[in-house]
Amino acid sequence: MSDDLEARVQAAVQDPQNLGEMSGADAVGTVGSENCGDMLRMWVKFREENGRKIIDRATFQAFGCQTAIAVASVATELIRGKTPAEAMAMSGEELASPLGKLPPMKIHCAQLVEGALRSALAGEEAPQTALAPTLLEQLAPRKNVKIKLQS
Amino acid sequence: MAELLEAYPGAQRALFRNYHIGGCASCGFRPDETLAEVCLRNDGLDPEQVFESVRRAWEQDERMMISPGEVKGLLEADGVEILDIRTREEYDAVHVEGAQFLDQALMQQMLAARPKDDLLVILDHDGSRSLDAAAFFAGHGFTNIKCLRGGIDAWSVQVDPNLPRYTLE
Repeated sequence: MSDDLEARVQAAVQDPQNLGEMSGADAVGTVGSENCGDMLRMWVKFREENGRKIIDRATFQAFGCQTAIAVASVATELIRGKTPAEAMAMSGEELASPLGKLPPMKIHCAQLVEGALRSALAGEEAPQTALAPTLLEQLAPRKNVKIKLQS
Repeated sequence: MAELLEAYPGAQRALFRNYHIGGCASCGFRPDETLAEVCLRNDGLDPEQVFESVRRAWEQDERMMISPGEVKGLLEADGVEILDIRTREEYDAVHVEGAQFLDQALMQQMLAARPKDDLLVILDHDGSRSLDAAAFFAGHGFTNIKCLRGGIDAWSVQVDPNLPRYTLE
C-alpha cells in the first residue's frame, strides 16, 4: 500500500466511525461467520425524508482485516442519507473511495463490506465463496472440549 | 491450493506473513484455485517467488519459536507480553501469571493501536496452534512476534512445575 493509503487506513482503524451493534436496526447483513471469528456485520437504520426512505445511519462490527474495518468505517459514513437503491448501486471501490484507490490485493476487503451492505439492504444472504480455511478460522477456539487436570 | 497446503503445512502462514493472502475472508482463496491464479489476482505476484517462500516456510516458522526458559527471562526483565490464545475455560483453569487472554476485542485493539515492533509471545496448549496466530499478526505487520515452543504444557514442565498440566477431551 502507498504511505498515504496506509496512513488513511490506520487513521480509520484507530478511530473507526459507527463501530458496534445497533439496537433497533431495521436491517442487518452479515458476511462470514461469527463462529470462526472471520466476519463483517452491518446494521442499518432508515428514516423518511420528503417521502423517501433513506439511510439514517449504519454501524458495523468486523473481525479480521484492518483494511476491511477501515472501509466499513468510511462506507457507513458515505451511505448516510442515501436511499437503499443508491447505496446498493455503490461498488466496493466507491464505498472505499474516501481512503483512496485500494491496491488489487486489498480490493477483497472492500468487496467484503459491499457484501455485508447488500446483505443488509437486500435482505439476502451475501454470496459465500467456499474458501480454504483461513488463518483466522484456524485460530477460533475449539468448542465443547473438557479440561482434565493431571494430578 | 488445496494440494499446496497439504504438501507444505506451513504454506498458509508463509502466504499471509509475506503476501497478506489467506488470513481472513477478505484475502482468502478457494481450494480449487491454482497458485498462479491467486498470484494473478493479488497484484500480479510472481508465482515462482511465492512458491519459493512457501517452500522455505519452515525456516520462518523456526525463527518464530522461543523456548520457555527464554520467555521466563524476558518476563523477569519486563520485556515481553504473553498472549494466550487458548479457550477462556483453559485460561481460567490454568495460565501463566501476567499472560493476557486474547479475545476478539483485544486482537482488534492490538491490530489497530499496538506498536508493531513490540515483543509478543503467543501461547497455546502444546505449541500446535501458536504458529498460525503468530503468522496472522506477522501478516499485519508485527515484526517481533514469537511462539512459545511447546505451549503452556512445556512451561509447566520446564519453568513452573506448580502449574498443573492438563489434557483436552
